[in-house]
Amino acid sequence: MPLQHSSARTWLRTVLLAGIVVLLISLVVAVVLASVLTLGKQEISPKMLKWEDIGTTRNLQEVILGRCYSYVSARHPELGDKDCLKIWESLKHAFIYKNPCNITTEDYQPLMELASHPIPCNKSLFWSKTNDLVHRYTKSNHNFLTLEDTLLGYMTDRVSWCGDPSAPGINYESCPKRSECESNPSSVFWKMASKMFAEAACGVVQVMLNGSIEAGAFRSSSIFGSIEISNLNPDKVSAVQIWLMHDIGGPQSESCSGHSIKRLKGILEERNFKITCEENYRPVQLLQCVNNPDHADCRLCSSNMETP
Amino acid sequence: MNSLFLSLLLVSLLFVKSFSEGQGKKWKGEGTTQNLESIVIGRCYEYTRIVNPSVGEKNCSELWEAFKNAFIKKDPCNIRPSDYELFINLSLHTIPPNKSLFWENNQQLVNSFSGRTRRYMSLGDTLFGFFGDLLNWCGQANSTGLDYDSCPTTEECENNAVESFWQMASITYAQHSSGVIHVLLNGSAEGGAYPVKGFFADYEIPNLQKDKISEIVIWVVDDIEGPDRDSCGIHTVKILENRLKTLGYDLTCTDNYKSVMFLLCLDHPDHSKCAFSSSAPAAQRGPTSSDRGGSWNKLMFVAFVGFLFRSALVY
Repeated sequence: MPLQHSSARTWLRTVLLAGIVVLLISLVVAVVLASVLTLGKQEISPKMLKWEDIGTTRNLQEVILGRCYSYVSARHPELGDKDCLKIWESLKHAFIYKNPCNITTEDYQPLMELASHPIPCNKSLFWSKTNDLVHRYTKSNHNFLTLEDTLLGYMTDRVSWCGDPSAPGINYESCPKRSECESNPSSVFWKMASKMFAEAACGVVQVMLNGSIEAGAFRSSSIFGSIEISNLNPDKVSAVQIWLMHDIGGPQSESCSGHSIKRLKGILEERNFKITCEENYRPVQLLQCVNNPDHADCRLCSSNMETP
Repeated sequence: MNSLFLSLLLVSLLFVKSFSEGQGKKWKGEGTTQNLESIVIGRCYEYTRIVNPSVGEKNCSELWEAFKNAFIKKDPCNIRPSDYELFINLSLHTIPPNKSLFWENNQQLVNSFSGRTRRYMSLGDTLFGFFGDLLNWCGQANSTGLDYDSCPTTEECENNAVESFWQMASITYAQHSSGVIHVLLNGSAEGGAYPVKGFFADYEIPNLQKDKISEIVIWVVDDIEGPDRDSCGIHTVKILENRLKTLGYDLTCTDNYKSVMFLLCLDHPDHSKCAFSSSAPAAQRGPTSSDRGGSWNKLMFVAFVGFLFRSALVY
C-alpha cells in the first residue's frame, strides 16, 4: 500500500535525522570540552616539564627576603653589610629559566660568595639522620651552629625551588627528585652549601648521629659521609666529637664501639683528627625527655623526692 | 686674649653638640626595625606556606597595608587596639582546641616549649602573633613614613603602636581559645609568678570564653638556678587561682612541670635538679677516645699477671 509504505519511510527518515542530530550535538560538545580543558591546562603551564617532587614554594622571593632581613638585622647585627636583595637575585638567577636537570656549581657560586660568613671556632655542629633533634637543640642552645643556622641555610631551609626553560621560568607545580636527575637545583645547592660549611669549620667540631637506626649511625653515602668529612680542613679542625643519640625507649642499634662508628673513626683518624664519642650526650638527651617525661630513662633524681 | 677666645670656642662647641643631641631622638625607645615591611610580609608567607598551611591563603600585602594603616600618619602616642581591627580580621584563623598556651615572664622558654605549633600554639605561634613577634615599630603624626630613629616606650606613653598591637592580639587570642587552656608561669620572677597587672591579667583572662573552655591548667616553673619565690597555692598564684575559681573555671596547678623542667635543664645539664636517677651504666657508656687500644692492652696485662700470681699462690 502506497500510504503505509510512505509513512514507514518518513518514520525511518525521522529516526535517521534524529540520530544524525544527536551525533552532531555530541561531537560539538566533545570538541568544546576538549578545547576548554586543554586551554585550561595551557593557562597553568604550557610546556613545563613534569617531575615527581613538590614544586617551587609559592612566594619564595618574599619568604627568602624576609628570612634574610630577619637573620641579618634581628639575630646577627654584625652581618649588617649583607645585601638581601642582591642575595635573592643571585639565588633566582641560579635556576630561573634553566633546565632543572642541568644545574652546576658555577650557577650557585655568586650566591655562595654573597651569603657566606665566618663561623666561630668550636661551634660547628654536623648531623646525619637527626634532623629534628639537632635543630630543636640549636634553637634552644645557641652555642652550636648547624648549616641551617647560618645565613645561607636559614634562608633556604624547608623551601624548594626549580626553574624551567619556558615562561615564567619558575616551576611551581613540580621539581625533580634526586632519582630523576642528580644535577637538580636542590641537590646541587645542598651539596655545595655543605661543602662550604665543612670548609669553614675550625677548632673542635661536633656531629650528632642516630644510634637507633638499623642501617647504621654513620653512612658513607650521606651528605656528612660523602661531602662534609672530606672537606674538613685538618689545619683548622683539631678534633671531632661524636654525639651518638638513641631514641628514648628506642632500640640501641649502635654504640660508640659499633661497626659504622669504627669505620667513621678510621676515616677521621687517617686524616689526623682526634676523635671522641659520647653516647646520649646529656643536654640533647634532656631535650628528648621533653617529649617523654614519664619514661624510665627520663626519671629525675629531684622528682623522686617530690610527692606525686 | 687667645686663651679667652679658645675657651669661648670650646664652650660654644659644647653647646652646639648638646643642642644637636637634644634635637636627635624624639623618643627614648628603639626605632622601627629596619626592613620591617620585607620581614613581616616574608613572615606572613612563611606562616601560610610553611609553618601552618592549614590557615589557607592570605593576602599578605593586604595584611601589611592594614597593619601599617593602624599607626601611620597618627600621633604615635594615640594608637588604640581597635586601630588594628582590620589587620586582625584579615589575619584571624582557628586556634585548635586544647592548644592555647598563655604565659608571663618566660617568653623564650614558651617559644621553645610550644615547638612552633607542634606542641602548643602560643600567641607568637598564631599568624597575627608571628607577624609582629620581637619587632618594633611606630609612625609619625605628620608623615606617612615609619620612624626608624626612635619610638615611644610604654613609660613615655601607653597608647603606642606596639603596646596597642599586643593588647589587641592578646584579646583576640583569648577570645578564640577553647578546650583545655594552659598557662606557664615563672616561679622565680620578682614580684610573683602571676603579675596582677599584666597582659594575662588585664587582656587575656577577661576575654576567655567560659562556655568554650573545659579546664585551665596552670604550670609554675622555677628557673633552674633561681629562687623558689612562688608556687601553686601561695602568694600571687593563689590570687590567680582564686580569681579563676570565682569566674567559675575548673583548675589544676602543678609545680615544676617535668617537660618544661627538661627544657630548662638544657642550659644546666650538670645541676643537681637535672640529674637523672637512672643515669650511668645503661644510658651513658662514657667517652671512648681514639687510643682505646692502649688501655685495653694494659687491662689484659694486669689481668694476666693477677691470674699468674693467683695460680702461683695456689701452688
